[in-house]
Amino acid sequence: MSDIKTKKRKTWKNPLAVWGAKGGNHEVPTPEWKNPHQIWRDTKAFKVPTTKIGRFHYEYKSSNHGEKIWNRLRWWPTRRTILWTQGVYNRKSLKPEKIRKDKRPIFWFLSLLALAIMPFILPDGFKNSLLTAGGIFGIYASINLCWTLVIGTAGIFSLATYAIVGMSAFLTTWLSINLGLPWWMLPMIGMFVGLAFGVIIALPALRLDGFYYGLLTLGLNELCRVFITTSHAFGAASGGLYGADTFVDDNWAPMTQTLVQYYSGFALLIAALFLFRFVDGKRLGRILKLAPEKKEAFAEASGVNYKRARVTVFLISSIALGFIGGFYAAYYRGSAFDIFSFHTVIMGLAMITIGGIGRADGAVAGTLIIVVLDRVLVELGPYRYIIIGLIMMFTILFLKNGLFGIRKQFRDWRDKKKGEARSSRLERGGEMLPEQATEMDNKDEIYRKRYDKMQREFLKTLICDEIIEEHKQKPLGQHSEALERVCYYFRRGAMNDKYVVKCEVPFKKYKIMALSGVRGRSPRLVEDKIYDTVEAAYHGLFLRRIQDLMEA
Amino acid sequence: MNDLIFLIINGITVASIYGLIAVAVSITWSALGLLNLSYGFIFSFAGYGAWLAERHIYGEPIFVMFMGIAAGVIGGVLVCLLVFIPVHDKPNFTIRGMIGTLAVSLIGGQILLQNFGPKAKLLPEFFGYGKIKIMDVVLTADKIGIIFSSIIMLTIVVRWMKSSRRGLEIRAMMMNPHAASIVGIGVRKTGIYVMAVTGAMTGLSAALLSQTYYLSPFSGLTPMIKGVSIALMGGLGSVRGAVIAAIILGFNEALTTKFLGGRYVLMTQFALIIIVLIIRPRGIAGILDKAREA
Repeated sequence: MSDIKTKKRKTWKNPLAVWGAKGGNHEVPTPEWKNPHQIWRDTKAFKVPTTKIGRFHYEYKSSNHGEKIWNRLRWWPTRRTILWTQGVYNRKSLKPEKIRKDKRPIFWFLSLLALAIMPFILPDGFKNSLLTAGGIFGIYASINLCWTLVIGTAGIFSLATYAIVGMSAFLTTWLSINLGLPWWMLPMIGMFVGLAFGVIIALPALRLDGFYYGLLTLGLNELCRVFITTSHAFGAASGGLYGADTFVDDNWAPMTQTLVQYYSGFALLIAALFLFRFVDGKRLGRILKLAPEKKEAFAEASGVNYKRARVTVFLISSIALGFIGGFYAAYYRGSAFDIFSFHTVIMGLAMITIGGIGRADGAVAGTLIIVVLDRVLVELGPYRYIIIGLIMMFTILFLKNGLFGIRKQFRDWRDKKKGEARSSRLERGGEMLPEQATEMDNKDEIYRKRYDKMQREFLKTLICDEIIEEHKQKPLGQHSEALERVCYYFRRGAMNDKYVVKCEVPFKKYKIMALSGVRGRSPRLVEDKIYDTVEAAYHGLFLRRIQDLMEA
Repeated sequence: MNDLIFLIINGITVASIYGLIAVAVSITWSALGLLNLSYGFIFSFAGYGAWLAERHIYGEPIFVMFMGIAAGVIGGVLVCLLVFIPVHDKPNFTIRGMIGTLAVSLIGGQILLQNFGPKAKLLPEFFGYGKIKIMDVVLTADKIGIIFSSIIMLTIVVRWMKSSRRGLEIRAMMMNPHAASIVGIGVRKTGIYVMAVTGAMTGLSAALLSQTYYLSPFSGLTPMIKGVSIALMGGLGSVRGAVIAAIILGFNEALTTKFLGGRYVLMTQFALIIIVLIIRPRGIAGILDKAREA
């Protein structure tokens, strides 16, 4: 208000001047005033800083031919499409578009393709060590996929996975040495060994729950280790039992041997992925998804025999683990005692937790990370175990469900932030809170209040000593723009509590009253002050209205 | 007959050491819900603490033993600060905590290996080389000392849990962690007490076992697995059950060694544990309803 005199005085053109009203000049001087559109723009402006992230707007959408039906490829002979595609219409252009609802098959295909062509693109210097590690990766990833079936799908917290593999490997090696079995028999026999051990280990699982079972299987693992290392039949002295028949011919070139091992490990991984998909994604998996931990009673009440499904999954994966054990024996010509050690269990748990428990991609990616750290970066020495331990700590401290849970975790976090931002800009809605707005029947009222608030904000900026002085000089007639806008607002105010001038004695006594706004209820007197002239009363009324405006 | 008694005493000696770890595992599980698989690391940590104290500070056996207990306390609190406190309010706490303790034992074992090397270390004999002969059975001071110091430790811990304010807090946490936190018992504070006490027990067992056997970065593994098995058989959360289970397994060890041979100890032990668990899924002294829901 005080700096108003320093501003340049403007003039206001009176649009009503053409009618020739008395005193209706073409132009009158007016104090500096703010553009009324500005407050509208300010209110409408989106003040929260936004970055270009989003769930749908930046998702790739391929164009769709409007006339031709999509070219849907299907897995023969099922009706299942190769990629889950959904047709949508672009919200702006209304063009039909296709989005891939689930891109994981694409990533799986690309990563497996990369593994398949790995031997041809690796530089010669690293080829041998990397391919050896690749074979190990295939075997461990298959074991971990079966383990994921047990822990994730069946929900049985078993730590005896490597014990089954190891027992199968040792027994088949022993049989191969003593009975001269060919290599292709080993996985077959391993399946029976796995089944036998699966039955033995599954028995307590029916009675015990959760971590009691985990601790028991940890002990069983130790039992197997002690049994194998102390028994005479399994070569107690040499650190392992070797001498089984193998599919790798010693007479081949070293690179051929490595390649055969690599691709056999790769084939095992593919087989394990298929097993995972057909157990986890089909009937058994669906049944068990209905019976997660602590909701078993509900599943049972729904008629789901979840115990039977759990044991079935456990036995299936035990058979698979036995198969892998036999394969392991044929791959390495035997097995080392290492497979029973606590260290192996820790490494296996690291593999499945880093990627995310219960997911195939998590198991495979976690195995890849650990195998690369453990087998490829050997020159790091013991530090690699410290790194693995730190990765495990990071995973449990900061991630909800491993690396592959990051996507969901990030989206949850973003939604939370979005909600916070939304609640922080409630003032955009004007006078009314959202929960009040839903209860208001007349929605126009919401917008009126919002507009009213904006207008009052704007008019407050116009009030200055100059317009008060101008109004005192001439309460009626042509005013400057600022005063005219303020007066227009006051005149069209609501009837309840609207100030009016009451004439007590004409030309002598005037008082200010307020209308009740209700039919039949008389106005009330607001002050006892008596004005001598009607102009003074007009100005007193104007001052009261300004006071109300500034206080609101 | 004499060598059977000798074996039984041997079994009880070993069982009293493993029993300490079993009680530690049991208390940690029932009070904190933490499945602590890093007792192997705490064991080696305490053993090396005692060894360092013996080397660099003072060689008196009793002092070394107390330094082992102190190092166990430090190890336990370390695990509590690294794993329990950051993780205890996160979803899936039990599995997270278990993997966290495994990670700690992985890192800790490697650090111990880096600093002390794979060569085994031996602690001095704490109880001298005296012998007592009671009815043809020779008892060495070593065995008597081990049994008595474990019993003293266990008694102190049980008395402390029964009669002190902190013990009351821990018992409240065992009964119902949510209700305990509602009446103002701090989960984190109690966690530190629990881990300190159980660390002390592990430290004592480390000191006792390392004087008979040896000490290496991973020597805590077998005692931990044995302790976990005993705790499992006795019923997680029950001190009494753990003591009973330790005695039963000690007898089992003695009898199996006598009649079947030492190789079959673990097999009969696990057969016994599995049979007990099939009959009573929560162990000997565990009651189904009162057991902690993780």
